[in-house]
Amino acid sequence: MFLKKPDLTAGSRPTLSPDEVLLFVQDGVGLYEGKYKIKSCQKGHAYLTSHRACYVDDADPRANSWAVDLKDVEKHESQAGFLKSSPKVTLFPKPPKRRFGTIGKAGSSQSPSFQRVASSSTPSTRASSPFRPSAISSTPTPLVIGTWVCPICSFSNPVPSNFDPTIATESFPIPPCLACGIKPPFPLVLKAAVTANAKRLPAPRPESINLTPDSHTQSYGDEVSSENITCPRCTFHNHPWMRICELCSAPLPVPDSIQRKALEDSVSRSESPGPEISGLSLEEEHDTPSVKFSFRNGGDRVFYERLKNAMIQRKWLLQDAPPLPRPDLDRSPTPLGNPALVPSSESRAVAVGIAGLEQRGLQTRKINEAVLGNAFEDLEALMASAKDVVALAERFAVESGSQTGVPGVSSDPLVSQSAAALGMLATRDMIGDNSSALYISELARNLAEYATDDQRGILRRQGGTMSLVDLWATFNRSQNGVELVSPSDFHKAAEAWEKLGLPIKLRRFKSGLLVVQQRNASDEKTVGQIKGWLTSLKIPTAATSEAWDRSAYGVGVTAQQAAVQFGWSLGVAAEELEMAEERGALCREEGVEGLKFWLNYLIEDD
Amino acid sequence: MAYGATGQPQPSHEDLPESVFKKSYNFPPFFSPQPTSLTRQAQLKKWSEFIQRYCRHYRLFQLSIIDTLQSPLFYNARLKKGLSLKDAKAVIEYMASKDGDERAEWRGPEKAVAWIWWRKPEEWATLIVNWVEETGQKGTVLTLYELVQGETTEKQEFYGLDTEVLQKSLNTLVKKGKAQVFGTEDQQGVKFF
Repeated sequence: MFLKKPDLTAGSRPTLSPDEVLLFVQDGVGLYEGKYKIKSCQKGHAYLTSHRACYVDDADPRANSWAVDLKDVEKHESQAGFLKSSPKVTLFPKPPKRRFGTIGKAGSSQSPSFQRVASSSTPSTRASSPFRPSAISSTPTPLVIGTWVCPICSFSNPVPSNFDPTIATESFPIPPCLACGIKPPFPLVLKAAVTANAKRLPAPRPESINLTPDSHTQSYGDEVSSENITCPRCTFHNHPWMRICELCSAPLPVPDSIQRKALEDSVSRSESPGPEISGLSLEEEHDTPSVKFSFRNGGDRVFYERLKNAMIQRKWLLQDAPPLPRPDLDRSPTPLGNPALVPSSESRAVAVGIAGLEQRGLQTRKINEAVLGNAFEDLEALMASAKDVVALAERFAVESGSQTGVPGVSSDPLVSQSAAALGMLATRDMIGDNSSALYISELARNLAEYATDDQRGILRRQGGTMSLVDLWATFNRSQNGVELVSPSDFHKAAEAWEKLGLPIKLRRFKSGLLVVQQRNASDEKTVGQIKGWLTSLKIPTAATSEAWDRSAYGVGVTAQQAAVQFGWSLGVAAEELEMAEERGALCREEGVEGLKFWLNYLIEDD
Repeated sequence: MAYGATGQPQPSHEDLPESVFKKSYNFPPFFSPQPTSLTRQAQLKKWSEFIQRYCRHYRLFQLSIIDTLQSPLFYNARLKKGLSLKDAKAVIEYMASKDGDERAEWRGPEKAVAWIWWRKPEEWATLIVNWVEETGQKGTVLTLYELVQGETTEKQEFYGLDTEVLQKSLNTLVKKGKAQVFGTEDQQGVKFF
């Protein structure tokens, strides 16, 4: 299942699917399945595309080419080369347990490749092992018997006749020592058997073996002394089979010849095809083996980098969205065909251009729709969160409302809860005077300081009375655009001036105009100022002569004249004159010249 | 009868007597309605007194508002200011109300002409009765013409009294049982008891 058969083009290259892109090509590549070479796939080209990793054999491309789908790859590894081993890239398949329906297919499909692997790996292992023929030749003659020395009582015991060193394992039943009855360790017996087999090759050696245990005097001969082991402690010449000195029981060094033979034995066992074949059959049921690409001519790093990029991009997922790539494929051959058929087809090219522009506009519109959709979704989420905050603030307000029974108490939790309910005017009024929002009270003090600042003289230049809107504009303008105050907050702060005992106050005229005044300002003082001014106007000037008796009545004044006289704004001047009229100090004259105010002589007798 | 006609000659804007046209007449706010109630009441009171003085001076018993708008009563040629039609009607309305002591009475529902009671019919009746008693003519029959146009009443205030006003005043005497009116529409007589 992991390895698939790719379709090849006439030039023996993998046929790419419509949206598949070729990323990298490398020659001198061999293919492995698991740990074993695939004999027929040891020299070819490796093709990496956005969807697959393909191997195309050089000798027989049609029969020996294989492909691995990247979507079936669980993970990938890169191994550097070492000595004779070439660098390799390993692809691990995804576990097939996730798809129960395909287990049977995976098992059935793997058996042919497994057989191929077995057939291909056996000859290579035989060729690479020179020890193999001697092992095979020794099998028909199992009558060789060696002896092993007991490490406890040093008694020489015979190796069992049915003991075969090539097949025996630790579970093999070995009889105990004939002298002391202790069971020997398995490696000791194995080494004895191997040594016996190795020593059968030279002809004169068996005789020396038989003579050595009988007499020690003959062991000092030249031939025998070359094989003896000298004890490093007491310098006693021991038999080459001995592992412990006979005199002082010191451990004896192992000769080089025995070490070399042991290594050869282990190497031959690892390369034996017999047990591995059975092991692989067991593995087949559990999991499919990984696939390796062996790069004998280099190029493994580039291959691996592009493999990682392909795994990250996952272009094979685009197959689930066919509308996107189809128009591009349909459009791309058209402009190529047009100039070949008709060289002077400019009108068609222009049409294609306009179609391209329309397509671009359509894409832009889609992008805008996506952006707007996201914005509205975020806005709705924000509104939902705001509703939760408002509900929480209302709950705080209701809980804090129960404490209004305690007059004059302003605790910190109550103030903080009021601050949380900032902006909820109806609920905040229920709390009481002691629970004004901290922000509003601090703003009120700040505004009072600002309006009564002697250096600026804001309120003084306005004749002591200034409309709230004018003060709001002046204050925000002085903030240089940072931390501006909203009209509602400004109004709340102005309403708090009376409570906080600040030197300015908020006043409302009959028309609804709100003005800021010094605390000591009063209507009586204003009326007195106006009457004094109008009385001073009774003095006649030689320039003009009125139709009425100026010395008796004076003259009528407009709001503009009053504004100039007292420094008020025009709105404040109009309001002040109407206030004086309301109090009976003035009366009005309406005419084409405008609205004029006179001292009130209508209430006096003629 | 010349004085009873509705086409009364309007006084000119020259030589306005100061006894009638007092200081307020030359005060510009006098011709503008005042929004303050206290000042407004004072203003209306002055207008009422002014109109009564004006009608008494020129012996006018009724006023046509539209005809009088350009007269010195409602227009000050010197100040070039005057009452508008709406404001003039408001003044007469005030005079007709109890607040204005009922010194005026609308003659029709359209409120175009009004009696100006600078002397009410009851007051005229009192004058006539006093004269009759002074001259010792109780019990005798007197014609209406003789009362307001005769030589004997030439020096009396009710000489030249409007006929309708005379009838209104005599009716008040009849209700009290002090006089009796005789005769037809053209020739009427009255006997005082």
